[in-house]
Amino acid sequence: MLNLDINGRRVTVRKGTTLLAACREAGFEVPTLCHHEALEPYGACRLCVVEVREPGRAKSRIVTACNYPAKAGLQVETDSEAVTETRREVLDLLLARCPASPEIRKLAAAQGIHRSSYPPDQNRDNCILCGLCVRICDHLGYSAISQAGRGPAREIAPPLKQPPPDCVGCGSCARICPTGNIPMVERNGMRRIWDRDFEMVKCSQCGRAFITKEYMASRVKDSGLPESHFELCDECSRVQTAKTMYAHMVPASPAAKGVTP
Amino acid sequence: MTRMLTVTPTRCIGCRTCEVACAFRHAEQGVPGRSRVQVRNVDRDVWVPILCLQCDEAACVKACPVFALWRDQDTGAIVVKEDRCIRCNACVPACPFGNLAVEHPKQAVIKCDICGGDPACAQFCPTQALEYREY
Repeated sequence: MLNLDINGRRVTVRKGTTLLAACREAGFEVPTLCHHEALEPYGACRLCVVEVREPGRAKSRIVTACNYPAKAGLQVETDSEAVTETRREVLDLLLARCPASPEIRKLAAAQGIHRSSYPPDQNRDNCILCGLCVRICDHLGYSAISQAGRGPAREIAPPLKQPPPDCVGCGSCARICPTGNIPMVERNGMRRIWDRDFEMVKCSQCGRAFITKEYMASRVKDSGLPESHFELCDECSRVQTAKTMYAHMVPASPAAKGVTP
Repeated sequence: MTRMLTVTPTRCIGCRTCEVACAFRHAEQGVPGRSRVQVRNVDRDVWVPILCLQCDEAACVKACPVFALWRDQDTGAIVVKEDRCIRCNACVPACPFGNLAVEHPKQAVIKCDICGGDPACAQFCPTQALEYREY
């Protein structure tokens, strides 16, 4: 355990905690876009900046809280003038890159920025290159997408911009994207993502599609669960459970007909 | 002393008070959440409240690729860490009892967490069909 000061308050955290976790634990809000609890800190969005002063040093500096480890005696400011100024600049740039993104606009508006001071980029989509989609795909072990291009041309794309062969269509990238920039459409028991169509598993009773066949096969392989677990959708499982439970308690009831407890 | 949330379907009258109690206990910013306990009609006048059984070898925990589900050592309940959940929804069909669901619009997975050791459903059930008992 080690002690540090956040906004003048003494906080005790475990060794190895990041500043972001320490701040949030202490109840201080730090905005983030590229951070996710399931993934390693990355420090791409630069929104989680805080001001730190190390013990024995006169000058303070600005660091990203998500990947900065908490140290004993550290003095942290989450809302100082330098922090607000840096955060405003970051949001100003993000707003110039993605002027149409509602999420970025909301964050910028919270800092009082309604219009970027840089010329807005009208031809770009809402990707902020935070890398969450790429990182979650790598973490799950599929690595179907990656960063492509350099400098201003950098973007997130599947290999050779073709439908990715390693993708299982789990949809995690689309749902984790902070600006909702990855299109995923479900129609007629098919899911389309990264220009590839995936056939989905349908509930054997009601026919509702809920997971792609490829993702189910992958989860079955990794978890050791039998494939029969993925036959019914949650609602049909619920009704099935209700019937089985009742039949178990009152075997003579009409509800128990045709159900093996 | 271990406490367990038990279901006695023969006592259930289908009033759905548990669903309301659950939705209000899990309310966020004044908006009731989706109920973690679901009452289902099996036959005429036969109702069964369905909620997580907190399995020893839980399929949802096995199905999760990012360890966002784990057992809370204090209450014995399997809890979802929403920050860790990547919304892949693998756990929802994996549960053979249908006790996980997706809460729109956040798309986060929800399940019974025994309200951290004080289940609202058992507290408000008028017929003790749901009980939080000591064993």
